[in-house]
Amino acid sequence: MVRRCAATLAAVLVFAACGDDDSTDDTNPPGTEAPGTDPTATEPAATEPAATDPAGTDAEPPASGEGIVLAVNPWTGSAVNAQVAKVVLESELGTAVELIDIDENATWPGLDRGEIDAVLEVWPSGHAEDYATYIDEKQTVVDLGLLGPTAKIGWYVPTYVVEEHPELASWEGFQDPDLAGLFATAETGDAGQFLMGDPSYVSYDEQIIANLELPLQFVVAGSEAALITAIEQAVGDEQPLLLNFWQPHWLQSQVELTEVELPEVTEECLASAAADDGAYECDYPIDELYKAASVGLQEKNAAAFDFLSALQLTIEQQNEIAAMIDADGMAPEEAAAAWVEANPDVVQAWLA
Amino acid sequence: MTALTVDRPVSPAPPAPASAATGARPSWLRLAVPVGAVAVICVIGAVIGSEVPSWLDARVGPRADDVYDWTVRNNGTHWLFTGVFDPISTGLTRTYDVTLWVLESLRWTGVLALAGLIGWRTGGTKAAVVGVLSLAGCGVLGFWDDTMITLAIMLVSVVVSLVIGVPLGIWCARSTTVDRGLRGFLDAAQVMPAFVYLLPVLVAFGIQVPTAVVATVIFAVAPAVRLTSHGLRSVPVVSTEVGTSFGSTRRQLLLKVQLPLARRTMLLGLNQVIMLAFGIVVLASIVGIGGLGGEVLEGLRRVDVGAAFAPGLAIVFAAVALDRISTGERSVRRGTRPVRLPEAWRQRPALLAATGLIAVAVIALVTKVVGADDFPSALTIDIRQPVNDAVDWVNEHLRNGVPVVGGTGSFSDFLVLHVLTPMRDLLLAAPWWLVIAAVVAIGWASAGPGLAALCGLCFVGVAALRTWDLSMDTLSQVLVIIVITVAIAVPIGIWVGRSDRVERMVRPLLDAAQVMPAFVYLVPVVFLFNVGRVPGVIASIVYAVPPCIRLVNLGLREVPVAPREAATSFGATPRQVLFKVQLPMAARSIMLGINQTILLVLSMVVIGALIGSGGVGLETVYGLTKSEIGRGVAGGLSIVLLAVALDRITQSWGGRPRRT
Repeated sequence: MVRRCAATLAAVLVFAACGDDDSTDDTNPPGTEAPGTDPTATEPAATEPAATDPAGTDAEPPASGEGIVLAVNPWTGSAVNAQVAKVVLESELGTAVELIDIDENATWPGLDRGEIDAVLEVWPSGHAEDYATYIDEKQTVVDLGLLGPTAKIGWYVPTYVVEEHPELASWEGFQDPDLAGLFATAETGDAGQFLMGDPSYVSYDEQIIANLELPLQFVVAGSEAALITAIEQAVGDEQPLLLNFWQPHWLQSQVELTEVELPEVTEECLASAAADDGAYECDYPIDELYKAASVGLQEKNAAAFDFLSALQLTIEQQNEIAAMIDADGMAPEEAAAAWVEANPDVVQAWLA
Repeated sequence: MTALTVDRPVSPAPPAPASAATGARPSWLRLAVPVGAVAVICVIGAVIGSEVPSWLDARVGPRADDVYDWTVRNNGTHWLFTGVFDPISTGLTRTYDVTLWVLESLRWTGVLALAGLIGWRTGGTKAAVVGVLSLAGCGVLGFWDDTMITLAIMLVSVVVSLVIGVPLGIWCARSTTVDRGLRGFLDAAQVMPAFVYLLPVLVAFGIQVPTAVVATVIFAVAPAVRLTSHGLRSVPVVSTEVGTSFGSTRRQLLLKVQLPLARRTMLLGLNQVIMLAFGIVVLASIVGIGGLGGEVLEGLRRVDVGAAFAPGLAIVFAAVALDRISTGERSVRRGTRPVRLPEAWRQRPALLAATGLIAVAVIALVTKVVGADDFPSALTIDIRQPVNDAVDWVNEHLRNGVPVVGGTGSFSDFLVLHVLTPMRDLLLAAPWWLVIAAVVAIGWASAGPGLAALCGLCFVGVAALRTWDLSMDTLSQVLVIIVITVAIAVPIGIWVGRSDRVERMVRPLLDAAQVMPAFVYLVPVVFLFNVGRVPGVIASIVYAVPPCIRLVNLGLREVPVAPREAATSFGATPRQVLFKVQLPMAARSIMLGINQTILLVLSMVVIGALIGSGGVGLETVYGLTKSEIGRGVAGGLSIVLLAVALDRITQSWGGRPRRT
């Protein structure tokens, strides 16, 4: 008898769960438990917390709008935008906001299904196909306009490399096999190593290297973490390193990197990228970061939709908040709240 | 023995393979057929050419892309989604919500009390103490809330795995055809990197809970099926016949005779499911579930080893706790010690359960009244800084500063230049048909024509997936990893297997090493060994050595005491006992341990790709991006085919009776 009891975890758990449901129901009136996490995230979340939460924390805001879900992708900028939006949405519009930490590629199916309402920082270079599929074709996702900051992918070397070899500030310097050979590793033999991080990020580096006939070998580190580790390791030893990197990135404030000049972006070059014909041989174009929302958001919460459409941050503002988080060690939500309080004009402009 | 490994039941030895049989036919005749077959392959290959021909293309990638596109286009409208997947999603999310709500309502005290109670019932005092302490460890590390999220996901995933796996296992036990048919699928599910199916599952089931659970179940369901089936098949025929002769129906036979007798093996299956499920917890966080896996990813993103290690350790604690309280030390250990209970409770388990649950509820209520809702912060320890200090020290001293050998940096270069690159060049320089011929020959020599055909098909399949060069690159790395792993693990396993004291000391370390997410040590490994193939090799070795040690240890301990004692009484030295009695007798189990290790190494291929291994693993990383699903699928299938070939070959070595 006892053994049977033990044999199936399932039985015990179901039993336990039922028993506890009963016994704890009286002790925990709904709404009091679980601060921070919302156990009833699916359906009740829409009505209940939205109605009760803001009322509990803030006396004034108009009780309006269904709660919404914002995606936070794994980089500081993305968290900054979402936290600022959350503070304003909750305090000014009375809209409860749930933030979900999620991979950027996983974000789009979430928007498509309406499980995520908006994402506030999309890097266009990596999501051209998502844009075509979900915004243009399937029309389940809408473009919410530009966020403000621009981003730039490029070739970078640690600044001490350029100081020692000024020729390497431009791609032409890498034509010299001896100079390119400085970047060689055991894996690349005579050719210099060109390091790329996460293979899912957009990259034309293989084409650029081949078409400019540079004595470099394209190596995929496999992840952003591996790339950053390689940078920290190289910088620690003052070793040469050439890599695909980008701005803005939190590491840029900690390590001095210099962008290597590549041939200017031309029309043919962009056309070749669009045609994917392998003839790309110029610099990366500037990325204008944009916002996107699930098509259902406008109907679900028009005020939130309008606000998110109007929301814009400059790169300086983003950096300011990011610094409060990364350098001063503030919690993201505190940093966002402090910044919103200190910048009422900016916030009012979004709400107008 | 609670083995935290991807164990497969040790199957009875297959009949001695043809090549090993000492038949009446002369030896030249026995060789003629395989040599002829290999020669035919070579001739055909030479006609086709040294490169994989373009017509040999299964078009798997493009087809997978088509399926994915169809899914994206129809996920809101087609009945398959609205009628099947969406209700499943909702059900899973609801179940998770309730589970998490219960855990949070119970508060930390109630959860610990419940863990203790279940542990005590299943495994006695020791299991209860270990379970409670491990779970409390998660709180001490400062991750109580995250742990509850992860625990809720794990509980749902494990229960779903059992609900699917146990009936399938029963079916497999009843029908050999089903068993054979499912075996390939189960192997594939376990070796196929989750990167490949994470995004398609996401499109079909939705973000967060459903995808996390579905991905975890795909990965973790296999042992539930295998060990249920194995357990039922090993029920002695006598017991079944006694049941039948007393007039049991099939149903009674199953529920009252077979399942109870198979319980021990099935509990091992539960243990395996739990361990595998925890192994994928970090990947599941990519789809927005948060919890401990999310914390690990966050630490990795900041390249902060300490910040990734602390939640990683909490994952270990949570896994150990769940394992100990669910499978119970007592039930899987030899020699049962009954828990003594008052008579009234012993008679009525329902009463006992009710009493326990009321006690748990009272504890939760008291906690709430006292106001100690959160895990007391006074008890938490921040281990991030000490870990980072330790890592810094290692980086500083081991990378360059080691006398004589140089350091990890130069070791890495050595491995690349003198081991990995020659190995890869060898496999790449050989014409593809020659590699296939070689594999067929090895298969034939190991277990005859059947295995030869299977291995040949696997490698032709790799060619047809259009990933030949990348797969050979990966294969070269995998072979190096296996050799090094075995060279390290077998001696240590023997050492552990010969001393109970050592085993007791090492066991918790082995548990921890196996559940600790590989993501935690990726950064230090890259720092020490540079980006490239070597950090992947090292990470795989770190991952595969502990289970290999464990399996070697188990194999050695399975040797009956009598022969050992006989040898000793005849005056054999301990050394002689080891080499002449224990090792020969344990050879088969040890070989099966190595066989397990191969699957583990192949499951690490994709993790290696995250730190520069390249090869076919990198293709599966592309699978996480929308436009490259097909590439990911082709890459993932290549890994599966390589795994099947290597697995079956080494399995046959394990099964071959030792010739003396």
